[in-house]
Amino acid sequence: MSAIARTNVMDLTAPAIEITDLNKYYGTFHALRSINLTVSKGEKVVVCGPSGSGKSTMIRCINQLEEHDSGAIRVFGTQLDDNLGSIDEIRREVGMVFQQFNLFPHMTVLENCTLAPMLVRKISRAEAEATAMRYLEKVRIPDQAQKFPGQLSGGQQQRVAIARALCMQPEILLFDEPTSALDPEMIAEVLDVMVTLAQEGMTMVCVTHEMGFARKVADRVIFMDKGEIIEEAPPEEFFGQPKSDRTRLFLSQVLGH
Amino acid sequence: MTASSLPGGQSARLRRLRRDYFGSPLAVLMTLLSAAVIAWIGWFLLDWGVIRATFGADGTQETCVAHGGACWSVIAVRWRVILFGIYPYEEQWRSALACVVVGVVILLSCLPRMWSFGRLALVWVLGTVIFYTLMRGGVLGLVPVNEQQWGGLPLTLFIFVATGIIGMPLAIGLALLRRSEYPVIARVTGWIIDTIRSLPLLSILFTCAIVLPFMLPGFLIGEKLYRVLFGAALFFAAYQAEIIRGGFQGIPKGQEEAAKALGLTYWHRTFRIVLPQAFRLALPATINQFVIAFMETSLIVVVGFMELLAAGNTAFKTGEWKFAYAEVYVFIAAIYFAFVFGLSRYGAYLEARMNVGHRKD
Amino acid sequence: MTGPSFLRSRAFRRVTLQAGFVAGLLLLVLAATLTARTNLATQGLTSGFDFLWKSTGWEMNFSLLPTTTADPYWWYLLMGLMNTLFMGTLGLAGASVLGLVVGLMRSGRNPAARLLGTIYIEIFRNLPLILQLFFWYAMANALPAPRASIAFGGALINARGLYLPGLMVGPGTVALAVLSGLVGLGLAIWVLTARRFNRVEPRGQRRVALLAVLAGLIGAGVFVVLGHDPADAWVTLPALQGLKIDGGFRIQPEFYALAIAITTYGAAYVGEIVRGGFKSVGRGQMEAAAALGLSSWHIFTRVRLPLAFRAMLPILINQYVWLIKATTLGIAVGFSDFFMVIASSINHSGQTFEFIGILMAGFLLINFSLAAVLNRLNRAIALKGHQTTGSA
Repeated sequence: MSAIARTNVMDLTAPAIEITDLNKYYGTFHALRSINLTVSKGEKVVVCGPSGSGKSTMIRCINQLEEHDSGAIRVFGTQLDDNLGSIDEIRREVGMVFQQFNLFPHMTVLENCTLAPMLVRKISRAEAEATAMRYLEKVRIPDQAQKFPGQLSGGQQQRVAIARALCMQPEILLFDEPTSALDPEMIAEVLDVMVTLAQEGMTMVCVTHEMGFARKVADRVIFMDKGEIIEEAPPEEFFGQPKSDRTRLFLSQVLGH
Repeated sequence: MTASSLPGGQSARLRRLRRDYFGSPLAVLMTLLSAAVIAWIGWFLLDWGVIRATFGADGTQETCVAHGGACWSVIAVRWRVILFGIYPYEEQWRSALACVVVGVVILLSCLPRMWSFGRLALVWVLGTVIFYTLMRGGVLGLVPVNEQQWGGLPLTLFIFVATGIIGMPLAIGLALLRRSEYPVIARVTGWIIDTIRSLPLLSILFTCAIVLPFMLPGFLIGEKLYRVLFGAALFFAAYQAEIIRGGFQGIPKGQEEAAKALGLTYWHRTFRIVLPQAFRLALPATINQFVIAFMETSLIVVVGFMELLAAGNTAFKTGEWKFAYAEVYVFIAAIYFAFVFGLSRYGAYLEARMNVGHRKD
Repeated sequence: MTGPSFLRSRAFRRVTLQAGFVAGLLLLVLAATLTARTNLATQGLTSGFDFLWKSTGWEMNFSLLPTTTADPYWWYLLMGLMNTLFMGTLGLAGASVLGLVVGLMRSGRNPAARLLGTIYIEIFRNLPLILQLFFWYAMANALPAPRASIAFGGALINARGLYLPGLMVGPGTVALAVLSGLVGLGLAIWVLTARRFNRVEPRGQRRVALLAVLAGLIGAGVFVVLGHDPADAWVTLPALQGLKIDGGFRIQPEFYALAIAITTYGAAYVGEIVRGGFKSVGRGQMEAAAALGLSSWHIFTRVRLPLAFRAMLPILINQYVWLIKATTLGIAVGFSDFFMVIASSINHSGQTFEFIGILMAGFLLINFSLAAVLNRLNRAIALKGHQTTGSA
């Protein structure tokens, strides 16, 4: 699929993400309560739930921005344990898009996109720039390549952030509320890009409140509350006949107006 | 003439001026008092420093006292002692050239296009090497001159540059250790920084000059000058580390997370993402710290070095010029002032420029 | 992957890095100590703190309580520490008052006053403190000889020092009086800042604090009256007797040169902090106060000053700590502050390490207690519900 030589020994036939009995505490607060989740390659999973339900914490455990306390996470068969090597390896294959974009303000858009491929994948500047331009075109802002993030609108910044993640040519993309910090008129341009990616077969785990997006592209919708997975179903079933009261309450709040 | 007969803008300005200067009895009093003080200082300086002053190398105490003003003759006669101390007289061109080198280094570091770790390090290290070669000699046919004979302005500049060149990497190191994710390292480093910061610089210089030789194995003791320099650099580093830490705190947490998510290693995250942004945020405070470091070079007079201030003291402490202390101190003060004022104005300019840049975002 | 996996584990790294760091530091300290011990042994020096009870054999040129060459080291050290605190207190007070004036001039509307304030700050802040100190000291020494003393308002000044009219009481009495005043002040600060009084109505709290200060002052007055010998006159005026000055209270050039230098230099910094504090008070606050019909005096005392003070206190704390440390410059002109006593003691006794240890402990103690008191004050006056920007 990619021109870049993979340095890892990941097993692309294994499930993309396999989480078993995951627990996480902040002090005495039990943030994740024995989470079990499997995402297969090419699958799109949308995670929703009220704020503080642990959904961000869960996907941040997948690339170890948060350390989990017990349980196992496997990404393409590679287990994330205490081993720093496995963390490096998984971060190379798992891209992430943040709520606050987190573009590097002291670098141009192009530099943002080429930095990691050059430093981590050790490819040449020319190659990195070619890849970067390809993805910037994909998110429809190649003309902004020489600008600094501060000069772009929120929607443009988030699209650059997606391009930056794609430049590492990851197998999996994690989205942590990618549209929550955006003005309403910019949400659509970011969702369009995400829909395109989904249609091209990227494995995606999205924490989002955009239920329209969930209906349109998700293979599965997961509802979390108080650190637990409450419900897990294909979108038609999830929105049509939710099983749990908490899901129904949540849906009525999100979709109610 | 009434204010209303003037065009609007001008009359408003006049009105405002009149209100600010003479709006109330208190304002009138303040204006008169301040103006009187300023006028008095101005007149005194003019009268003492120029009108009744004695210029030229042929002035003596008698002629100076007869004129009643400043006796600039002391500078004309003694300027080489003040500027270069007891550096061999025929070799003093080397001292002068060394000062120019340092000046160039400082000017270059003020240019924004030089602001990368590599370039700055290159300029400062290269500058220091040239400076050292010129001053120390012993190569390229230059007569060797021992560090104990260094003095005056070059010594002051050398201490300043060396403090920066040793202190800055130390500061970065301390700041990184201070923000380590490992609590023991972070806490212990915090103690070290706090301890150094609560000690007076003089006591640190004194310790380095007098006590350190006891604690070091023979081959590490070295010249007193270098030990004292290390002390000054350590003190600078403790303060600068806290400034850099302030910069770290201004960076959103997401920056480092994004770098982690992209798979960057600790060193790449630190030197490509975190430090450049921290330095940008900490720039005004950093320049301020350099200004303070420059002024504090004068403290080494206490541990027995002949830097600018001490050289100035010797210039008037000998018999015939004893009365002319004010002139010598004014001369030295002018040198310090030019440097410090220039640097702090530059800092203020940078800060203003950065604020404008922020508003654009 | 390379190497056994436990080498790359997070837990392993956590332990080795932290243990390595501490071990490295300890090793450094140990090596330094061992080298020092060997070096001291070869020079025939012994370590230990017995010397503290030996008499010094040299004179201290300034002390608040009497000292003689027969006094032991610990007494000298204590006097040195008191000198530092005394000079520091004078410097802090002077710099604060003068700095407030300069800062107000700089933040006012009157352009002439603003210019004067700016000139002051640019001159005093941009020159090294030690240069200013040397200048004042040279000036003090260049004053006329005692027989040509300059007289003003009952005081005399000449190259030997400044002679003020003196109260006829012993130094012990003065110490007791000062102690009484300080106790009153300390009580007042405690009442104002201690958490246990948070529930008390602020005005009552302030009244009790005022009472404590008054009680301290009255106590001081009582001590002075009791300590005064009724046979003597109350006040002595300095007067020229032959070639020297008799009577009065002499302040040495070293002392007042340092006091002037610290005050004027510190005031420039305090002035900038004051200006920054006033700048931080939003226009909206003042406009709101004006809209309520408050007079400009009330706007200043009730709105602007209290808000500005809260903004400047955290920065002032750092500046005060810095000013206390600056008293060590006394050694450059020969004022017997704590540092100079330490330096002379090292020269005379050779007990280098012990004295350096005492020096560090002394300054850590001074700075931490000053910072602790000021931080407490900062917390006490911080606006409720706002994050405090603590420091130092």
